[in-house]
Amino acid sequence: MPILIDENTCVDGCTICDFFCPGDIIYREAKDEPPVVKYQDECWYCGACVIHCPVDAVSIIFPPEMLDCQTDVMSLMGVSLPDDPDDQED
Amino acid sequence: MTSLAARMRAPTQKFQTIETDIAIIGGGVAGCLAALGAAEIGAKVVICEKGGIIERSGSVAAGVDHYIAILEEGPEWDTPEYLLRHIPAVTEGVTDIEAAGRLVYGLKPMVHYLENLGVDFHDPENDDVPYYRHRAFGLPGQYHINFDGHDFKRSIGHAVRKTGAKVLERVMVTEILMEDGRPKGVVAFHIRHGAVYFVLARAIIVATGDANRLGRNASGFPFDSWHMPYNTGDGHAMSLRVGAKLGNMEFTDCTLTPKGYSTQGLNAFMGGGARLINALGEQFMPKYSPNAERAKRADLVNGVVSEILAGRGPIYCDCTHLPEPDIRRLERTLGVDRPALPDFFAQKKIDLAKEPFEISVGEIAIVRAGALFRGSGVDIDADCNSNIPGLFAAGDCSSVNAAVAGASVMGHVAGISAGRYALSQSRPKPLSADEQERIRETLYQPLQKEQGLKFHQFEDEVRSIVTGLIGYRRDERRLREALRRLNALRLREAELVAEDYHGVMRVNEARSIRTVAEALAASAIERRETRGGAAHFRVDYPEKDDDTGLRITLVEQVGDELQVSSRPTGIPSTVLSEVPVKKKEEA
Repeated sequence: MPILIDENTCVDGCTICDFFCPGDIIYREAKDEPPVVKYQDECWYCGACVIHCPVDAVSIIFPPEMLDCQTDVMSLMGVSLPDDPDDQED
Repeated sequence: MTSLAARMRAPTQKFQTIETDIAIIGGGVAGCLAALGAAEIGAKVVICEKGGIIERSGSVAAGVDHYIAILEEGPEWDTPEYLLRHIPAVTEGVTDIEAAGRLVYGLKPMVHYLENLGVDFHDPENDDVPYYRHRAFGLPGQYHINFDGHDFKRSIGHAVRKTGAKVLERVMVTEILMEDGRPKGVVAFHIRHGAVYFVLARAIIVATGDANRLGRNASGFPFDSWHMPYNTGDGHAMSLRVGAKLGNMEFTDCTLTPKGYSTQGLNAFMGGGARLINALGEQFMPKYSPNAERAKRADLVNGVVSEILAGRGPIYCDCTHLPEPDIRRLERTLGVDRPALPDFFAQKKIDLAKEPFEISVGEIAIVRAGALFRGSGVDIDADCNSNIPGLFAAGDCSSVNAAVAGASVMGHVAGISAGRYALSQSRPKPLSADEQERIRETLYQPLQKEQGLKFHQFEDEVRSIVTGLIGYRRDERRLREALRRLNALRLREAELVAEDYHGVMRVNEARSIRTVAEALAASAIERRETRGGAAHFRVDYPEKDDDTGLRITLVEQVGDELQVSSRPTGIPSTVLSEVPVKKKEEA
């Protein structure tokens, strides 16, 4: 859940997070209902919604895959093709 | 599952035809400046922008803090002639020198043009100087202005509104339509309510920015990317499909990031005095570059990749030797380019003063061909013409760009060039009812299926190929396998499904991503040398080869295959430090 909107703080009728989100992820289609984060997995973690919210109702919660990333960077360094003894990574 | 509601609505969505002189694809910095340029010569424009509002859309929607300028304030380096003489060195001899010259000579007038629109280039922390300028990114002088650009895009977007330009927001262009070898307009749709548009135009400007979501990263989240993940090379792909040539597609970009978060910030750390250290505690960058941690980004990435492959990872960024005030200043800077970065360190509970943090090599992307004043994209000349009459390009989707300043100058040039062209052409014919029906059906085909291939899954395949087989270290055999697989993946595009109009946008982005990756693979095979640090490193041709390499690689689509050729740059082959300069007239 990267984007958390505090419904109690959020102001009725404001649509800034909806319009300023560059990824079309936050929707506020009814004025009297709180914004919905419709496509959480498509978040860029840019923070535009956080800095532009006039009442500081939005926060970003980084998931464990980002904060405590366990990926071995070596796994991003490319793969060898089979049956090629000459193939070298470097 | 496709939502029933979307399936029911799709076939009946109304079809709106809008006639104009120029259709501009993308309302970022280049697209907005193009609209302003066109307005100056009296051409009507329609801007199609995927984002919600042009005052806050595009790569610098949330702000920008540096801008490349020439001001002729006195120093020797502060003239267009001086900078242009150094462009061959900055671009390693690979850029169209005439187009780069147009950009360079446009830098000074553009500063004042933007100031007239309300952009304030003054540095709030340095009241005593008119402009706070510094040296960065390997340029031969203090060309970068530091400023508070939080509202940069708002000023430009606001100026576009005042011209009366028609702006279609939340509208994605999917296709350029051609007639008799020239464009006649663009097909677009609204990503929320699904209305279909045909913008009938005499000229088209592609201004869609860079191409991201191409490669894998450490977090495994595809939208966690260094540059904006919603820029997916749509303009590159659309232009390629109608016969435009793309230049320099083999040069890729990536950065170094805190492991788990692909973000801006490398420049702040390196410029702020941080060190890169390997698992043995060694500061290794001096081995790879005399500038050590102040080397160009592509050289930093190259050093880190080399250390990892040599088994000396993980790699860390270390600030613990810095004095306390420097650390605090660094922390303040981090939030400017990426507002959420300070939150990341806070939630990760990292105290920069006390411990190094692990870094990762970021995902591969197509941004600006590994150097300023060069780009990977639609091959343009000094007037922003592509090889297709009536099709223009500017900004990060074109072959000659330079970040925000490049997008501003060349966007404006494209607007003027396209305006002149459009006003000299006859008006294209509107679409027949049959053509409209075909367009609507093709567009919403992903909504009509009960099940099929999700865009995530399709893109993951592309990313595995790009990272696994193209990668940071390249060789012919793996590149050929990458090209074969990416080409085969084209057939699976027809299986892509969407649940709503937003999903139709993602499906189209996924197709663009595959197309751009294929153009990258095809071009990378043909550049049989190493150039640009990590931007194009061939293990089978590890040296720079000026006999074959000082050309612009071009890729075009012929049938279902890509064909690669090359062209000269206009830089005399004997001269790489000094180039005779012919002053271009700024229109």
